[in-house]
Amino acid sequence: MKSHDSRKSPFAIFPQTLIMAGGIAAACSLLLSAPVCADLTAISVESNTILRMGTTTDKKDIYPLYEYLRLSVSSTEKDGSTTSLHVGGWARGDLGDKSARDRYTDADLQYGYLSFQGARNNLVINAGRQFVNEGVATQRLDGLYVRNDFAAGFAAAAFVGSPVVTEPNLKADDFVFGGRVTQGNYKYYTIGVSALKSYSNNADYREEEGIDLWLHPIKQVDVTGRSSYNSITNGWMEHAYTASFAPIDNLRLYADFSNINYKDYFYKVTTTALVFNPLTNGIDPNEVLTTLGAGVSYAVLKNLTVAADYKHYDYDIARNADYYGGKVTYAMPDSFGTGLSIHRMDGKNDRLKFTEYRLYATKKLGKTDLTLDLIDLNYDSTTTTNNVKNAVTVVVAGSYECSKSLQLGASVDYSHNPFFDNEVKGLVKLTYRFDMNRSAEGGTKSEK
Amino acid sequence: MKNSKFILIILVPMMTFFLYACANTSSVARIHPEAVKGLPNCNECHTDSWGALNHQAPDFMAKHSIYAGSKFACASCHQESFCVDCHAHKEEIKPSDKYFNSPERSLPHRGDYLSQHKIDGKINPASCFKCHGRQNNEGCVTCHK
Repeated sequence: MKSHDSRKSPFAIFPQTLIMAGGIAAACSLLLSAPVCADLTAISVESNTILRMGTTTDKKDIYPLYEYLRLSVSSTEKDGSTTSLHVGGWARGDLGDKSARDRYTDADLQYGYLSFQGARNNLVINAGRQFVNEGVATQRLDGLYVRNDFAAGFAAAAFVGSPVVTEPNLKADDFVFGGRVTQGNYKYYTIGVSALKSYSNNADYREEEGIDLWLHPIKQVDVTGRSSYNSITNGWMEHAYTASFAPIDNLRLYADFSNINYKDYFYKVTTTALVFNPLTNGIDPNEVLTTLGAGVSYAVLKNLTVAADYKHYDYDIARNADYYGGKVTYAMPDSFGTGLSIHRMDGKNDRLKFTEYRLYATKKLGKTDLTLDLIDLNYDSTTTTNNVKNAVTVVVAGSYECSKSLQLGASVDYSHNPFFDNEVKGLVKLTYRFDMNRSAEGGTKSEK
Repeated sequence: MKNSKFILIILVPMMTFFLYACANTSSVARIHPEAVKGLPNCNECHTDSWGALNHQAPDFMAKHSIYAGSKFACASCHQESFCVDCHAHKEEIKPSDKYFNSPERSLPHRGDYLSQHKIDGKINPASCFKCHGRQNNEGCVTCHK
């Protein structure tokens, strides 16, 4: 089985992994030789070695060992422009039974691209495997991305490439392109128009257009939103808008509205999990969901915040539901943090009646971090899976900073849920970080 | 007809802008000048629109996809891997498992999500679709053949 599917690539005659590896090696060589001419070269490496321990629902004992490796090399010129390489991927080997997809070993390149960032106009040129987020496009692709600021507050972005699709049950697209044009004043507003089009075997697959906005007319008000249209089904896929108002520094009121037409929104998917059928999964493919939500948060003290939220789910076909609750958090960075939340899902449908409780706490003791997390879901319904009405999970975790570069952590999860009377899972994680020359530019980037 | 609409929306404005002069403004800082820890409240320093990116705001997660339209700004604090942790590609470990020592973060799929996903999927399947459906179907395909 292929790990990803990018059919009909113009380079399809070459094994894609070889192309990718060759490109990365060449880019690394170029960037590592850059100090001769560059004003500053920075290298950042993070390695996470993770061992998971647990039992699956089909009684397999699994001990998958993962290595997540992330590399970033950048070379900054005197004029401020930067050329950089970003690569991230993982590999897995099973020490026990097969943990996923009937394979003892697996690996993946999550992203790998060469980037040029201009000193002016926020010019960005990326080439390689990357995540593009431009209006209607929230897309991982193997391809090219370009953006730039223009005069009068205009900016434009364009992308072209092969969508990265993983484990498809259903036919996926093999070529996508699109772009977004924005106009705005960074202090007050940005309005964008975007579109994308994709093909599968030269036939139309997706064709979407959208508008998005970010309004910030005064410091206290912030509005975001987007509407997207499916030109193949000729229907609006989604409207999603949020607004917040902070009359004083420690009080925030917010509201959101969304409308989703399933027929247009889920027009092309690659997993049967999102193919709707009232007989198999109880969801009508012609469903229309409208949500209306609101909330308030108030910082009683600098570190203590109380919040309440409400959301109404209105379905054209299914029965409606309401979700509401509250949360209290206390946070002292680098010392102590805790939070308690209670939420109620109150649906007309029996399955949508439950109460969820969560309590967490973190404490830093010198070089040691301790964490406790408790989540309890209490279902009203008697038709829950295996008649278990209460699902509780407790996570106890700790980590120790061996040095500035090395951190060792572990967690133990206990869970009583519809699939396990008593489930115990473990995870051990060793993190190694290496940064060179970051301090010359100021703060460091966070992997968290 | 559809193609001509697409061309009108994207290509014509872009051609116009490419022929137009560049903004000639300085790019956003590559690296945030001050090191930031935990969930920052950007309002503590920023009095302009960057203050709206307050990560402590309860509605930040709902808005972050719009803010991420200025990804070059996110990149001054976050590596690409930060986005990938949730907007994953062929991922096998839940973000909340990987970052077990950050319970304050809004990471998806906490707790017994094997049971809960059937309910969340009925409440609002569009919430799944941001990360699954066209990619990262590894978890789905185990049961949804």
